[in-house]
Parts: sequence; structure tokens; C-alpha cells
Amino acid sequence: MEQNLQYFLIPFLSWEMMLLIWVGVFAGIWVGAIPGLSVTMAASLLISFTFSWDLNSALALICGVFVGGVYGGAITAILLNIPGAPAAIATGIEGYPLAQRGEAGKAIGLCTTVSVFASFVGILVLSVAAPVIANFSLKFSPRDFFLLAVMGILLIGSIGGGDPIKGITAGAVGVLLSMVGMDPSTGELRYTFGNIYLMAGISFVTAMIGLFGVSEALIQFRNAGKKSPKQNLDRIIPNWATFLKYLPLSIRSSLLGVFIGALPGTGGDVAALLAYDQAKRTVRNPSRPFGTGAYEGIVAPETANKGAIGGAFIPMLTLGIPGDAVTAIIIGALYIHGLKPGPMLMIETPHLFWMIVSCLSIASVALMVLGLVSVKPFAKIIEIPKEIIMPVVIILSVIGTYAIQNSVVDIFYMIGFGIIGYFLRLYGYATGPMVLGLILGPMLDANYRRAMQGAENQILPFLEGFVTNPISLFLTLSIVFLVVSQTSFYRRWRGLE
Amino acid sequence: MEEIREFEAEGTGPEAAAGEKELSKYVPEAQRKPGELGIAALGFFLGAFGYYFALDMTSGEYSSPSVFPKLASTLIMACSAVNFFKALRRKKPEASSTLIGYLLPIDVVVVLVLLVAYCFVLPRLHFIVSSYAFMVIGMVYLQRGKNIVRALLISAASLAVLVAVFRYLFLVILP
Repeated sequence: MEQNLQYFLIPFLSWEMMLLIWVGVFAGIWVGAIPGLSVTMAASLLISFTFSWDLNSALALICGVFVGGVYGGAITAILLNIPGAPAAIATGIEGYPLAQRGEAGKAIGLCTTVSVFASFVGILVLSVAAPVIANFSLKFSPRDFFLLAVMGILLIGSIGGGDPIKGITAGAVGVLLSMVGMDPSTGELRYTFGNIYLMAGISFVTAMIGLFGVSEALIQFRNAGKKSPKQNLDRIIPNWATFLKYLPLSIRSSLLGVFIGALPGTGGDVAALLAYDQAKRTVRNPSRPFGTGAYEGIVAPETANKGAIGGAFIPMLTLGIPGDAVTAIIIGALYIHGLKPGPMLMIETPHLFWMIVSCLSIASVALMVLGLVSVKPFAKIIEIPKEIIMPVVIILSVIGTYAIQNSVVDIFYMIGFGIIGYFLRLYGYATGPMVLGLILGPMLDANYRRAMQGAENQILPFLEGFVTNPISLFLTLSIVFLVVSQTSFYRRWRGLE
Repeated sequence: MEEIREFEAEGTGPEAAAGEKELSKYVPEAQRKPGELGIAALGFFLGAFGYYFALDMTSGEYSSPSVFPKLASTLIMACSAVNFFKALRRKKPEASSTLIGYLLPIDVVVVLVLLVAYCFVLPRLHFIVSSYAFMVIGMVYLQRGKNIVRALLISAASLAVLVAVFRYLFLVILP
């Protein structure tokens, strides 16, 4: 115990590590805020120039970037309706209407506070329950991941806005587009039409930047000349009473985030969407109706994606299995420094575990300070006339898209998606479900097929698995509940309507 | 308590709440928009197109690569048909609102032309020149020819910051 505490204190006693964590958080906030520039990209860039560094310093910087980057995604979602990352899509649904009402400062202030809380929940669970959760997450079969993806697809009802049939149409188009490219399990080409650029498929980040960024800019140009809303920047930091009001929702969503984050292959994006959906279903008296700027709709996704940070480290540190793309990169860093991530990592190098816990804790404190200091300058961005800000947003979208794989063709796709998104939005088809379809399509397809192959292509054994396996049964019942809870009968019974 | 109220909503009074309730709950418009039938029909054809090309993929087993493409295509066709008939049931758009006028107001057309031109020149003139030109022309046009010097300066400053941050700080390769 005493030794663990000593390991935990290592970063606190090293000014170099402290500085690197703070620099990492600051850089992460800005990287995360820019659509297309992801935390994964920042972490992989950092790995390349930290080869020669001491491992502790490299991990300190990466942990800082990770925490800052996940937070940064919400900034542009709230201010410009352009999520910096897929994990912030749900945040934009409520955050942008708030910015339009002049409450961007409060929205970002609340987002920062609950984010820090959720980071600590994730870190706490990582410290006390990592081995238990890791072993449990390994029990998930392809059928269970398929059910998780189905759960995700049901969110179309929540983020579709307006007409549910139009939401489903957009979601199905997203799933269809996600099928473009080489099938990862058989190598068969689907919808490539002999075009080599289509073989790698359509990046959902490219689509997201176009569908949110460029289409938003085009929609704004329809209202050129309309003044940007003046932001109220008094009292941006919520007090204790406000924080306590959102505490139960924050705890629920953070824990959901930790668990989803701990599942290999899923991360903050799925966690945030699921949390937003559960908030929409369970919060009886939101501050405003959902979809029009409900603060609960910011608290739930933001706490879930921060909780997922701690969650993502759980399988990585206990089993050597990455919880998401960033932890996969950290595993690479560990190999480069001569360590072997796996079940023995915590036994052979316990200092590493406690040092990461410590770095994440310091990063969360840094996030609190840097996040709150940045609220006012960030909120001022929205007051810049759109005739000036929107051309810059388009150029930012271009940089973000090109940075994904240094391809000019991706820029054309992104602009194409922007134009499609513009037309769809004019006719009431929300773009969120299309991005959701693009994200979840491959997860649905691959896990369904693996599960079906496991059942030797027989329908009955495949279906049997849904009720005989306890995890599958729980997920199936959850899906049934999700569907039932959307009916007006249930909503009337629960007093939600 | 006062602080909580601040975070609850500015305007949770009855009028505001009444207006917001309508926003949160979908209320179909009485009149269809110009081109709404066309977009639903386009959706149907996209689904049909997707299904047709899914027929070329390996099939025959429940785990074949064609399962999800066919499923998604069928869903698109079914939903688009519903969207089409729902739109058909609504009143025709006003005679004064034309399809082009609704879809492409002049500002959007200009920005789209600029975007296409930007795509065309980007591989030839590279990022700095083409982006600078895009920002200056865009800003000058959208400000109706006013503040040209301001547009030139803001574009130059924005581009300098973008290049410094992305190229030199984050080591991102620019197009």
C-alpha cells in the first residue's frame, strides 16, 4: 500500500512530468476542438518524438493530451455545432441551441466541471476495480457487441430530431455508406466500382466534418447578415447547488462511460451517445426540453466520454488489450520502451499502473483550471460575425480532413458530404443519424457475422444465444426496454409526457 | 437556488416553455417544401441502387457479406416510400417558392462555386495560396464588398496562425 502511494506520488514530485501533463492538457484541448484532429492522431504524433524520452515523461504528456483532447471536442460542438470528435456529437445537440441563446459560457463552464468530476470517477474505478471489470469485459462475445451496436442504432430516435422516419432513413444511408470498401473478414470489395480510393472505405471522421462542419457553414450562409448572438459570460462556473443537482446524472453517466470504455473496440463516442439517450429517457424535468438546450443533455454525454478515459485504461493495464485507439498507441509506446503489456504488467511493473493513475488525476486538475480559464475566450468566438468565422471554419475543416490520411481526395469527399448534409438538413433529415450509421455500421456487420458464423449459420442456435447467455440476455432485455420506453404508453405511465 | 435557476433556463416562463415544447416534439409542417418529393424519390433510388449492387456480392449464407448492404438498402427504400407518401399528403408548396430559390439562395451558390473552385486549385496552388484566396473572396463577398482591407488582414492573420499551429506545432502536413 505504502509502495503504491510512493508510485502514485512520482509525477507530483517531478516538475518535468507536471509541466508535461499541463502542456499536454492545453494542447489536447485545442487539438480536440478542431474537427478531424483527433486525440489518437495527437498521441501517435507524440509517440514519434518521445521515442528517446524517458517512459514516464512520454506517458505524462500522452495522458495530458488524452484528457484535454476528449474535453476539447465539446467546445466546437457547443459553439459552432461542429463536433471536434464523434464523442461530442450529442453535446452539440443541446450545446449549440444554448450558444444561440447566448449561454455558451455557462454550457462550457458546466461541461468543464462535470468533465473533471467524471474523469475522477473513471480514475477511481480504474484504481479500485480494474481487474474485475477487465475480466468481465472479456466475457463479451461478438453477439454481445452486435447487441451493443443495435442499442447504439436505436439512438437514432434520440438524435434524429424531428421526423423519426427521416432519422431512420439517414441512419440506414449511413450504414450503407459504411459498407463501402473491402470487407475486413473476407476481403470482398463492396460498392467500390473499381475505384481504388473507395477500397479503404469512407472515413466516418471525413463524413462527420462534412456533414456537420461544411453543411453548418452553408446553412449559416443562408442567413448571412443575421447578427451572432451576444454571449452572457457572467457566472459561467456552476456553484455547488447546481453541481449537486446534476450529480446523480453525472454519476450514472460516468459509470456507464467507464464500463463502455472498458469494452475493447468501443470508446467515448458510443458511451456519450448511450448516455445522452439514457438521460433523455430518464430525466423527468430537464432544464429545457431536450433538443432545445437542456443542460442535462450536455452533462450526460460529457461525463460518459470522460469516464470512458479511465475505462479505456482498464483492459490495457490489466490484460494488455487496448480499450480504444489511444490506449492502443500507449501499448505501442510501452513495447518501444521494452515493456510487455499483458496480465503480468501490473505484477512486474506496478509503478506504471499507479503512475498512469496519478498522471490522469493531475491532468484532470489541469483540465479544471485550463478549461475554466478558456471559457471566456472560447465563448467570444461565437460573437465573431459569421461572414468572417465561417470561411475560417471551412479551411479548418479542410486541414482536419487532410490530416486524417494526407489525401486530397478526402477533402473532396468531405465537401461532398457537406453539400449532401446541407440539402438533407433543408428537408428535415438530421445528419447525426447518418454519422451514427457510419460509426456503428462496421460494428454491426462484423459482429453479427462473427456471431452467425459461431452459430454455424443456423438461425435457431444464433437466436438461442440471445437468451441462454446471461450478458446477451441482459442486453436483449435492455434493447426491449429501450424500444418499449419510446412508446407513448410507457412515457405517459412514467409521467414523461 | 438563484444560481440553479440561472442554469435551468432563461425563459422557463409559460410562453417560452410553450414555444420550446413545440421544438422538442416533432410537429409535421402542413405544407411540403419545394423538392421534398424529389428528395424522397432520390432516397428510394439510392436504396434500389444499393440493393441492385448488393446482388453482386457473395450471398447464400446468413453471414454473407451481402446481408447488411441488402438490409440497409431495403430499409432506405421502405423509409423513403413512407417519406414520399407523407410528403404527398401535405399541401403543395406555394407557387411563389421555387426549387432553386429554396435550395440555392445566391449566397450559398457563391460559396458552393468558391468551394468547387477551391477543390480545383488546391492540388495546383497548394494550401496557402488557395486557402488565402478562398478566405479573402469569401469574406469580401459575404460582407458585400465592404471592409476589403480588413478581410485581407484577417485572412492573412488567420492563415498565419493556422500554418504556425498546425504545420509547426502539431506537425500536421498541409495539402
